[in-house]
Amino acid sequence: MSYERIKFEIENKVAYVGFGYNCDKSMTVLDEQTLTELRDIVEECHQKKKELDGVVFHSLKKNCFLAGADINLIASLKTENEGAHGAEQGQNIFNRIEDLPVPTVVCIDGVCLGGGMELSLSCNTIVCSDNPKTSMGLPEVKLGLIPGFGGTYRMPRRVGLPTALDLILTGKGLDSRKAKKVGLVDEVYPKENLVKMAPKHFGGSKKKQGFKDTIEHLASDNFLSRKIIFQKARENVLKQTKGFYQAPLKILDVMEAGMMKGRSSYLASEAQAFGELCVGEQSKNLQHLFFLMESSKKYNGPQSEGELPVLKRGAALGAGTMGGGIAWLMAESDMAPLMKDIGPEALDLGLKQSSSNFMGKVVRKKMTYDEFERKQRSITPQLDYSGFNKVDLVIEAVVENMDIKKSVFAETEKHVPETCLLTSNTSSLSVEDMSTALEKPSRFAGLHFFNPVHRMPLVEIITHSKIAPETIEALYNWCLKVKKTPVVVGDGPGFLVNRILMPYLNEAGYLLIEGVPMKELDEACLNFGMPMGPCRLLDEIGIDVAVKVAKIIHAGLGDRAESSDLSQQMVDKGFLGKKSGKGFYIYDEKGKPTGPNEEALAILGSARKKMSETDIQMRVFLPMINEASYILDDGIVKKPSDVDLGLIFGIGFPPFRGGLLRYADGEGLERIYKAIEKFASEVSANRYAPSPFLKKLVDDKKKFYDL
Amino acid sequence: MTLSLKDVYIVDGRRSPHAKAGADLKDVAAPYLGAYLVRKILDATSIPNDEVDEVIFGNTGSPAKYPNVGRVIALEAGLHKKTSGYTVHRNCASGMEAISQAYMKIAAGRCDVIVAGGVESMSQMPLIYSKEMTDLFVNVMKARSFSDKVKALSAFRPPFLSPIIAIEQGLTDPFCGLNMGLTAELLAREFGISREEQDEFANKSHHKAVTAEAEGKFADEIVPLAYGNKLEKLLHKDVGPRGNSTVEGLAKMKPYFERKSGTVTVGNSCPITDGGSALLFCSEEAVKKYNLNPIARMIDFHFHGLEPERMGMGPLLAMDGLVKRTGVAIQDCDLVEINEAFAAQLLGVQRGLGNKEIASRFDVDTVHGEIPEEKLNVNGGAIALGHPVGSTGSRLVVTLMHELKRRKADKGIASLCIGGGQGGACLIENLIK
Repeated sequence: MSYERIKFEIENKVAYVGFGYNCDKSMTVLDEQTLTELRDIVEECHQKKKELDGVVFHSLKKNCFLAGADINLIASLKTENEGAHGAEQGQNIFNRIEDLPVPTVVCIDGVCLGGGMELSLSCNTIVCSDNPKTSMGLPEVKLGLIPGFGGTYRMPRRVGLPTALDLILTGKGLDSRKAKKVGLVDEVYPKENLVKMAPKHFGGSKKKQGFKDTIEHLASDNFLSRKIIFQKARENVLKQTKGFYQAPLKILDVMEAGMMKGRSSYLASEAQAFGELCVGEQSKNLQHLFFLMESSKKYNGPQSEGELPVLKRGAALGAGTMGGGIAWLMAESDMAPLMKDIGPEALDLGLKQSSSNFMGKVVRKKMTYDEFERKQRSITPQLDYSGFNKVDLVIEAVVENMDIKKSVFAETEKHVPETCLLTSNTSSLSVEDMSTALEKPSRFAGLHFFNPVHRMPLVEIITHSKIAPETIEALYNWCLKVKKTPVVVGDGPGFLVNRILMPYLNEAGYLLIEGVPMKELDEACLNFGMPMGPCRLLDEIGIDVAVKVAKIIHAGLGDRAESSDLSQQMVDKGFLGKKSGKGFYIYDEKGKPTGPNEEALAILGSARKKMSETDIQMRVFLPMINEASYILDDGIVKKPSDVDLGLIFGIGFPPFRGGLLRYADGEGLERIYKAIEKFASEVSANRYAPSPFLKKLVDDKKKFYDL
Repeated sequence: MTLSLKDVYIVDGRRSPHAKAGADLKDVAAPYLGAYLVRKILDATSIPNDEVDEVIFGNTGSPAKYPNVGRVIALEAGLHKKTSGYTVHRNCASGMEAISQAYMKIAAGRCDVIVAGGVESMSQMPLIYSKEMTDLFVNVMKARSFSDKVKALSAFRPPFLSPIIAIEQGLTDPFCGLNMGLTAELLAREFGISREEQDEFANKSHHKAVTAEAEGKFADEIVPLAYGNKLEKLLHKDVGPRGNSTVEGLAKMKPYFERKSGTVTVGNSCPITDGGSALLFCSEEAVKKYNLNPIARMIDFHFHGLEPERMGMGPLLAMDGLVKRTGVAIQDCDLVEINEAFAAQLLGVQRGLGNKEIASRFDVDTVHGEIPEEKLNVNGGAIALGHPVGSTGSRLVVTLMHELKRRKADKGIASLCIGGGQGGACLIENLIK
């Protein structure tokens, strides 16, 4: 029989099953055809068992074994039954692999995730390459799913319950070294020798159990300790996810209830759980987010004609917290950055920021001290422009002042080569205006990072009228290279994210003045899934900074963006937020909040107002949806998905909701529009002035994602 | 047929701040004392990172982790992986040996762009197991059976554990058995150099260095270096020169090497120190190609040997040889940098330059004349700044070229004595007048 997606050969009595055959994508996945062919091949092996010494699974694709089941296949599932049935089909194939009477060895070189991992677990022996790209794991939970092809059944049997729970509940990947350490793989080889060595494992490679393993086994493999392990895992999940996510809890249910079950009844419950989860709203939202992320990995902005500038060497202008963070990012990605400031104290500050970012990785053993030393020392702190003649990308992070920024750019432009891109990390100033300071504005853009740089994935690439498409595309690709999520946005007050954040923070001020207790306000937002309530977030940003940005946005957008004077009063009293130790909350020396700042709350007087949690949520989230409609109308971004990506990666809008506009689509735009109109008449005609764009969508009976 | 030599230009030269061993720079491994200088120097030019022909560094400590420091520096500096790099060792003159090789390779037309210099982390020189202990380890490893192992181990005696201090052994001459300090004592005795004279000299070195620093004279040559366990601080200036130094204070110190009747103290000797230096050498073609503006031209160099026990007189012979080679008299030079290994040793060199009888003891037939104070080590020397052994030979040239440039002067000599009984000297000409 001949196969199209899998290369099947028998050589010296060994059957070789090669994935990634005739595959022109960078990643091989288990799509429908591959699964069908795999089923037939396994059956063929069963028939030919007498002629075979063993079966070897491997990949013909560079750096990818199997990236999992085809997510389009999962996304197409309509009902629970359909989902459960799909899972069972996969389980059956993997059961037949497990049941092969001849030895099976899987050779993993590159990415091996989800369904690929589950296939591997059904083999007798797993060997992998020491390729740095080799990574193994069961990331289904990140899509709101349970591994449905027997992964939750076989993983604990291979690596023990505690490790299996850790892998399945976090979805994290293991490199070859760690996979060997936890016993997931039996041996690690250089990738060139991997397949060659596989038949040597046909005799089985039962490793000698060390004393430590035996103790661990005894400790975790009894009824009582399993119960404790599950209880602990459940507590951890609730702590980590605040109970928002269904999948990890479902996984725990299936695994705990199935501890005593045999294979077939266990797998039936796994398949059923998969069916339930895969059509649930939460998983659909997370799958939506996955597709958003995938599509953001490819540039689709204005077409470039000329060659793209190559961004090899970087420079950070300004060495404060932000500049140091940017220098760190450049050093991390081998750009040997120059870090310029005007005083030696600032240089120390920048080095400190970069060092502390790196040190986090050293402490977590993600980086050796030697690597840290090399990268940290690749930063050249300096007070002059020497070396700028070799720089390809400048990111400016000096004080947020238009005149200073303009003069810095005019000066810098004299020292850099013609091809160098110049960017500003401004959070609120007009990029269009700033571009006038440059002789050659086509190479200039806004490049807005979120604080702290090493934590926040989002980067806004802000365009202006004279920007070259090559500049946008080169910056976009660079952001991807340094593992950030770029969104191309037009110039305008607050750009994308801060502009939508504005009503979140503004309404918080008004709600407090109306007498809604701060605790209830912040909690309502936390219960919606936001990482921080608005008051806590204001403290984090710095209340003085927020006031400054609010003024700029107010000036740009008019009365809709008017803020209460509460923040200004806080600033006048010296309550600047976390950095001054006092804001809405009080902070200890380590920056941990210890409780509300009663002095600040005293400004509000004694009025108390009871408002339901849902009402509070509507008061803050509806104007955000309204503002996002204005943003689409203004053409700041082109697609609703840009808004959703921006908010999820810029301010941590809850991923399980799939984004602000997807949430709005789910709630129904008509309902939302009516609620906004109601607030406009009852609360404020200015702040809730409904977007005509949104009205048109409602009139046309469209959703945001129909655009 | 005579080999026609090409002109050799020194485009730039920089050094790290110096810090006494065990102080601020103690955690900085040898390559990192040089790599950042190379990056800094090349960044200021238009030379691409794949156009450096050779990277040559002097180093004496040969850290076990970096057997070839020169090549490691080339890579850590971000130069292209194809860049050739190596390490040279001529004791205290290793840095000068490095620049001499750069000079020869460019003069001979084999190379156009070379970075040369020296690095030394004296803080990180190791303690070594004694031979007895090493033998014991070997025997235990060789032993097959358990009883053989026990037998091998039973040979252990506690004194085996007393380590050899690499730095101390390195500063003791293997041929004559004298510690470097004792060679200085010998010169002091033979030429009647008094304790007061030595302390006076040392005191001036400190004050000259402190003044130079205060006047910002080192700003052009020192590149700040990140240090500390987390590499989050920058060291901007030398740790060593003492503004509060007095002759009286120095007089209170006890002789260190000849404890009973000697005159050489820790105060009138150079401290062991961490530091690095680097210079960019280019041919005329490279100068034109990259539109460079060289600070100096290197005219020539000379090395010379003498009795190891009088190694401190090395500069006398090296400078004498250099004069003969180039025809440029010492008195015609505007500045002279002679390394201050010991005040006694440098004062001995001065005696040899001015005194026919002393000169002839070293087979030097010319009386060159003592170098006047206003030309010699004008910004202080190693007694204040320290002596990172592998770097000093090139550090002297860095300091010299910047001071010549500042004075818009013409020529200068850098010279130093070399443990083991040698001297080295080189002559440069300032081009920015």
